[in-house]
Amino acid sequence: MGKIIYAGESLWIGQWGHFFIILGFVSAVMAGIFWYFGVRYRRTQEADSWTKLGKISFITHGISVLSLIGLLFYAMYHHMYEYSYVYDHVSDDLPLKYILSAFWEGQEGSFLLWMFWHIVLGFIIIRTSGKWQAPVMFSFALAEALLMSMILGIHIPWGDEVIKLGSNPTTLLRQMNEAPIFANAEYLSLIKGRGLNPLLQNYWMTIHPPTLFLGFASTLVPFSYAFAGLWVNDHKNWLKECLPWSLFSAGILGIGILMGSLWAYVALSFGGYWAWDPVENASLVPWITLVAGIHVHLVAKNTGYATRSVYFFYLISFVLILYSTYLTRSGVLGDTSAHAFTEMGLGMQLILLVSLFFVLGMSLLLFRYRHITSPSKEEELPSREFWMFIGSLVLLFSGVLITYSTSLPVINKIIAIFNPAYEGQVIQDVVGHHNKYQLWTGVFISFLSSFPLFLRYGATRWKENRIRIFMRWGMSAGVSFVATLLISLWISYFSWQFGILTFAGVFTVITNLDYLVNKARGRLKLAWASIAHIGFGMMIVGTVASGLNQKSISTNPFVFSKIFSEEDVKKYVQLIKGKTLFSEGYLITYVSDTLIEDARERRYTIQFEKLNDSMQVIEKFQLHPNAVYANDFSKVAAFNPDTKHYLHKDIFTCVVGLPPALQSNENAKAIEDSLKFTSHILPFNDTLLVDSFVFTLENVSYEPEHPEFQRHSHDAGLGARIKVQDKSQDTTYYLEPALGIEGALLYNYPATAESAGIKVKLAESVLEDFFVAEDSLKYEEFSIKNGENFTFGKYRVVLKGFNRAPEHPNYQAKDKDIAIGAILELQSENGTEALEPIYVIRDNMPMSIKAYSGSEKIHLRFSNILPDTEEFTFKIAKEERRKADLAIDICTDVPRTDYLILQATIFPGINLFWLGCLLMMGALILAGWDRYKTKYVA
Amino acid sequence: MNKNIIIALLLIAAGITVFFNISKDVSTYATFDDAMSGQRVKIVGQLAKNKPMIYEPEHNPDAFSFYMTDSENVEKQVILLQPKPQDFEMSEQIVVTGKMDNDIFTATDILMKCPSKYKDEEIAIKEAVN
Repeated sequence: MGKIIYAGESLWIGQWGHFFIILGFVSAVMAGIFWYFGVRYRRTQEADSWTKLGKISFITHGISVLSLIGLLFYAMYHHMYEYSYVYDHVSDDLPLKYILSAFWEGQEGSFLLWMFWHIVLGFIIIRTSGKWQAPVMFSFALAEALLMSMILGIHIPWGDEVIKLGSNPTTLLRQMNEAPIFANAEYLSLIKGRGLNPLLQNYWMTIHPPTLFLGFASTLVPFSYAFAGLWVNDHKNWLKECLPWSLFSAGILGIGILMGSLWAYVALSFGGYWAWDPVENASLVPWITLVAGIHVHLVAKNTGYATRSVYFFYLISFVLILYSTYLTRSGVLGDTSAHAFTEMGLGMQLILLVSLFFVLGMSLLLFRYRHITSPSKEEELPSREFWMFIGSLVLLFSGVLITYSTSLPVINKIIAIFNPAYEGQVIQDVVGHHNKYQLWTGVFISFLSSFPLFLRYGATRWKENRIRIFMRWGMSAGVSFVATLLISLWISYFSWQFGILTFAGVFTVITNLDYLVNKARGRLKLAWASIAHIGFGMMIVGTVASGLNQKSISTNPFVFSKIFSEEDVKKYVQLIKGKTLFSEGYLITYVSDTLIEDARERRYTIQFEKLNDSMQVIEKFQLHPNAVYANDFSKVAAFNPDTKHYLHKDIFTCVVGLPPALQSNENAKAIEDSLKFTSHILPFNDTLLVDSFVFTLENVSYEPEHPEFQRHSHDAGLGARIKVQDKSQDTTYYLEPALGIEGALLYNYPATAESAGIKVKLAESVLEDFFVAEDSLKYEEFSIKNGENFTFGKYRVVLKGFNRAPEHPNYQAKDKDIAIGAILELQSENGTEALEPIYVIRDNMPMSIKAYSGSEKIHLRFSNILPDTEEFTFKIAKEERRKADLAIDICTDVPRTDYLILQATIFPGINLFWLGCLLMMGALILAGWDRYKTKYVA
Repeated sequence: MNKNIIIALLLIAAGITVFFNISKDVSTYATFDDAMSGQRVKIVGQLAKNKPMIYEPEHNPDAFSFYMTDSENVEKQVILLQPKPQDFEMSEQIVVTGKMDNDIFTATDILMKCPSKYKDEEIAIKEAVN
């Protein structure tokens, strides 16, 4: 077989892509080497040249990565499906606004996004860090080289196996897969992209990943400064340089995580904002250690204590970010997580990445351990630094605990290496497990972020002030106690542990307010801390309120009280379209649903009416949860919720289930095929009895009323109006099944009475009964002048005039047509009827379009114009109908499709949670900006 | 008195207590046989595709019944107290959490593992050929 020359491929993207990947990798390695020498010879004159070389290499690296991003983006924008990454993430019908989401949907794209932020941050640090450039940027170069290796896409033969080093995003589809299709040189014209997962087609996917990856990338800055400090053995000066970065990093990482949980809450059907999922935990833990790091950083900067802890926390935060990458991208989490990347076989490489940074950082810390000095005197008990240090230990403890529980799948795997028979351990109740322990983290951290603010570094002036400070604390505690009692009127604590947690949260808010108003007094540097702490306290109270006190509106009357407690029985109801349901003080109605084709979703309108005790409607609103279809509309892929927001609560609704026939085309077909129809003859002026239903034919029409029947898309149609009386229910339905004819095709439009489970369709034999073949008609011909008439049997036909712009359902005007309608009056003993047959000359060919009188069964044609005698020729025929009974197929056992399963939950106080988190992250970022400004701008 | 030593001791004590307690929260995946004890357990297994799956929301939207085969090839009826999950028939592996009650496993939670995207892709390419 010769080499195939494929049609339509743009190979240059792959070639340039490969070039930039190699260049990017090599330049990152070179930058690392140059900066290494820049540090090594830092006391010589060479240093500057080395540093400069490092800088040039890093800029080259940056340009390579940006070019690669540009190339990949170009390929995606132009739907070049010959590239595997494009094929996997883009499709022809993907709206342009989701192209960014598609870019970072996959592993390679998200690595590029991560590198992009490293490069942006790296450029800023190169500009601003002065003599710290080489030691700090060394870590950047190292991180970039290793991340770049994740997209190298080199396969190294190793004995019988092949070691895969990274995955190149510009690999061709046919290099990635072996399939018979690639024997076809025209294969490109046969494939369409797979497109973006419909679950990810929303704006959250556009904003969440870049923010989160900026958060990830920013944790490299504190790591690099810590590493630099250890390396050059200067344990003091970097602290000042790094602080704004650490604050920024914690703030932006926090916002990234928060966006994820907001996404889960408002746009996904998870029904909550935090589920202790491994993926969530994996990004939360580095944030916790980073915040611990910031606190000891402040201690170290102000007192000289705890510098070793600062190193530890900053180094470990970035390592934990890498570890989270390993967890989400290696597939190790398996069935313990609801969301993770597609597995790509990069697990080993990711383990190496994590280990390298861990070993490098920790061994350098151990190596320098004895050089890092600390005041010989211990911290005093009433000093601020002592309690901040304790706080960071509590955070560390919490982080270790979460990491341990989250890492169980990893631990299982490691043990299984040594003992293949080992059965893996799993946590039985994940949420309960984490809540049980992290509740105490919440309590301790709340107390530790409140009272120590009034203490001073070094415990100065403690003796003089202690009475006043104790009084302050006492007053705050009293106020908080009363507030906690008051709050209990609104939310229930259920157990004493949550009572304490709420008190701790309230106490944090009160003491920090006191500090903000009476101590900080507009001094921003002091204020940010208390604002962030107020946020933390609010978040705690919000968590207790919304997490513990969520209440279902949609309760189910079937409670298995003997097996499970009430809360275990979930909160779903079946809503039948148009039927109102009363539940928990609300009238709930499924009003309607609309297909929004552009968005590939079906929008449901659910109406809520809140009743007061005397059953009067006091509030009325509608919510619109939806169902999202797969890209090819073959099935429902996901459900998205809709939420009514109040200041003090949210009402969250989500469709959680649909009738099987509406879930996928496959189901619909299977169900349709399984229906058992029986054939019946429905006579005119008589009734038909099937089961307990009485059928009466009311009317037959050539203009059907069926909602899906569109007259213009059919040559002809037939509809019947059938009355169905349900004797057992004493209800009556009207069904209007229809048939449509289009050329040789016959379209059946069945009609269904959902609540009775009846489906009726017209039998195909009806056609022959109701449509008379043209050649079976016996036409008679008459030629008359305008104003004259002719007689046909008992009918008289008068020619009243002409219409130069005739309209007829079977006539569509074209350019250059010459069309004339004859205005005729059909007179009979039953009265008169106006008919308008049309005579058309199209492309020099005459045609006639007949008019039909349904009541008289008269066919009338305008067949010729005789210019010589000024006469007009008409053809007329009366049809002889064989029979007038209607043949129909009836199924009385149809599963209904007019319902949905709904979840409706009230989340009280959820805004406290969001506002608290926002205050915390906002204050971190603004504090960082404040310190940056005083350092560089002022 | 050295505060740091006291803190360290406290931490170690807390650590030991907590980790000792964590062992109560974890266990291996159970089988239907283990569940006979009435404990709340997690069972991993496969959907028995030849047995009926029943979901009748008009009677009870909170109950979905199916049959599952565990790792020891024991087949039991499972009643999930939730609506029928999307794409349930496609699942390769199921993890259910719940209790045994009269020879029927009543589950409050479910996790499904569906065929991976790449398998999907092979199918897609093969289909494109046909």
